[in-house]
Amino acid sequence: MLKDKIEKILPLVQKPARYTGGELNSVVKNKKNTDIRFAFCFPDTYEIGMSHLGMKILYSLINSRENYWCERVFAPDVDMEEVMRENDIPLFALESRDALADFDVVGFTIQYELCYTNILNMLNLAKIPLKSYERGDSLDIPIIIAGGPCVCNPEPLADFIDAFQIGEGEEMMLEFLDLLNECKKNHTSRKEFLKQASQIKGIYVPSLYNVEYNSDGTIKKVTPIEGAPEKVDKRVVADLDNIFYPDKFVVPFVEVVHDRVVHEIFRGCIRGCRFCQAGFWYRPIREKNVDTISKQSRKLACTTGYDELSLCSLSSSDYTKITELLEVLLGWATPQKINIALPSLRIDNFSDELKEKLALVRRSGLTFAAEAGTQRMRDVINKNITESEILTTCRKAFVGGWTAVKLYFMIGLPTETDEDVIGINELSQKVVEEFYSNPDKPKGKGVSVSAGVSSFVPKPCTPFQWEPQDTVDELKRKQQLLLATCTSKKITFRFHNVNLTYLEGIFARGDRRLGKVIETAYNKGCTFDSWDDKFNFDAWMEAFDECNSDKAFYANRRRDYDEILPWDHINSGIKKSFLINENEKAKAAQTTPHCRQNCAACGSNSLNGGKCHALNKNLV
Amino acid sequence: MRSIRIWFNKKDSAKYISHLDLTRCLIRAFRRTDIPLWYTEGFNPHPHLVFGLPLPLGVEGMRETLDIRLNDDSYPNEKVLEQLNLATVPGIDFIEIAEPVLKPLAVVFGDYTVSIPNVNNADEFIEKIKRALNGGDITIEKKTKKGEFKQINVCEHISDVSFYADDTTVMFNFRLPAGNDFTVNPVLFCKSLFSKIDSSDLLHRIVRNRLLTKDLEEFR
Repeated sequence: MLKDKIEKILPLVQKPARYTGGELNSVVKNKKNTDIRFAFCFPDTYEIGMSHLGMKILYSLINSRENYWCERVFAPDVDMEEVMRENDIPLFALESRDALADFDVVGFTIQYELCYTNILNMLNLAKIPLKSYERGDSLDIPIIIAGGPCVCNPEPLADFIDAFQIGEGEEMMLEFLDLLNECKKNHTSRKEFLKQASQIKGIYVPSLYNVEYNSDGTIKKVTPIEGAPEKVDKRVVADLDNIFYPDKFVVPFVEVVHDRVVHEIFRGCIRGCRFCQAGFWYRPIREKNVDTISKQSRKLACTTGYDELSLCSLSSSDYTKITELLEVLLGWATPQKINIALPSLRIDNFSDELKEKLALVRRSGLTFAAEAGTQRMRDVINKNITESEILTTCRKAFVGGWTAVKLYFMIGLPTETDEDVIGINELSQKVVEEFYSNPDKPKGKGVSVSAGVSSFVPKPCTPFQWEPQDTVDELKRKQQLLLATCTSKKITFRFHNVNLTYLEGIFARGDRRLGKVIETAYNKGCTFDSWDDKFNFDAWMEAFDECNSDKAFYANRRRDYDEILPWDHINSGIKKSFLINENEKAKAAQTTPHCRQNCAACGSNSLNGGKCHALNKNLV
Repeated sequence: MRSIRIWFNKKDSAKYISHLDLTRCLIRAFRRTDIPLWYTEGFNPHPHLVFGLPLPLGVEGMRETLDIRLNDDSYPNEKVLEQLNLATVPGIDFIEIAEPVLKPLAVVFGDYTVSIPNVNNADEFIEKIKRALNGGDITIEKKTKKGEFKQINVCEHISDVSFYADDTTVMFNFRLPAGNDFTVNPVLFCKSLFSKIDSSDLLHRIVRNRLLTKDLEEFR
């Protein structure tokens, strides 16, 4: 029996508590009384997956229905996969330890492009046919679905996924499962179910779209069939105060990356940094009320026993009532010895009041996302902070006793010159000087500036979606240039693997012809591509060659504004004309004020009945 | 402030909670109750937890101990027990509470039971194990505190061996050193023993029944 087999291998692997289930607040139901069984898969290890808020929300949401049962599945670590394959153990869900093939739905959340081979590996471990068309015409084989931020361009996965959930899952998920439940009872065919599912707002069934290509490889036409909508609208939750939020989190035994209560205080971002996919994809702005946040997180602290509460959003200090929120939260958290963490703070909008409150929040490292080294470059990407703001904030931090600062930068941005690259070093150097100009600097202590320099990847649904990505050689040259100009021992540069960046760039804007490449690379043994020690770049390059796929076509080519892009039939709400306008302004190094100063009419509120909280400051 | 000793068991899947994870897991359990746990008074206050002796990963425990300190001297033990059992995780139950008598350093031995299900011929199987034990050479590798590896012959340290069998399950009891100075890991012992009788992938369950002092009195 499967359960005995699993019991036998658990003592053989590292950190077996990742595979046992039985954590506090995990949900076990009687499978005889459930109509729909859902396997929620995270295509990375337990430690990473268990940190993900979206999974916690949808897990609780599905389980709130008595007759639906959602369980968790993670990619087994390398040692576990080996013993599973040796002992012929299929991929199983943690709660019931039943094989995935016994489920009605297998759903993946896709957080980044470099997990695609892990999805294939998990399907293979589950003994589920990799490709949609191999899964027959009944609903006996689980329906494979996917969602998450990465599906704003779902095309590279079109061969493998039966249906995508585009946008926010809170409402769409239950509608989708209700339809499946009904179809299962009526013995509807798989094809008919998918056809009906494509009528639910936010559901994208890739097999219902025919794609034709021009001789130069670009897309000629995308034609929906069987009544599927021409454009799939991203699903948007209208009101965060009245949408489902869990009152319990599964509390893992092993330490995971984010082991705490997490609360999302608002969705969307008012800033409009032109490189940032999340900043546009999660629009329109919707804030949650102070009371709702306080009540819900207090309940979660009670049911989990966690001693830390982390507020999350794309830019926490842009929450309209951040000071009031901190005051309310600190009121009950401090007596209970609960720390409040506030990541994603911008350096330009600290009020003195907020600073006072922040002094009560546990101090962590100091990290600034400057993103670029020169003002011109920061204007191009619409990162509206100035050098003096960066230096002033650093000075205040140094006066406050900090001696280490982390800075984040990107190279390979559109219009970048060598001067801009060198500017990264110059700005870091100025931060160092700022430390030594402080008369009260701590004695006997030096400063350390750690600059993380990643390489830019143009992403769909951003003003830079038409831009070419720098080649691997060019990115390497810029990294060397930066190293060569740096003479200070106080500054350390950390670079990202440019080969990984390249692959990410190809898939971010890829089309469905890349499915073949993913499968070929997987068959060559590629999994866990985002792990440096597992990443096999040569195997990937072979896979592209064998499939006659032109990497530069996807990564390094400038697209025309009128080219049909692979994700054009996915409607994020953001108007193309807005993105084009932003791209032109970028080229002219012109900035766009943030949404509260002046609405730039991006169009995202069209999917939310015209509502956007950035438009009305008094709405929350 | 007063100290109490709590006896608990750790069974089923909970046996895979490592010692480090167990500490965090129990602190969270306390935090889900209103038990007035005493926190250290330093810069980074944390509760004070002391275990009798950590359980090796994969071993179940029937009478493990945990010492904590309470802020409120009048908070009754029964209430601590009741609250903890409401807040606990599957596989861990809290059994009794008393004032600590001995220090955890007094723990020197552990009594274990290994049960092996689905044995075809129990008598023959027991004979095989006896022969292996009498052979006098079941070695395990132990990492010393200096980081070197040392061979230890378990036969020199094992005592009070007894067997019990019903239709299909063989139970095997023994005593091994288990303390701050010297411990023989029962998991490694079983692994070595079973490979000696050519049954290295045997499904088995290891339970630590109790902890004993150097005079073979129960730790209390």
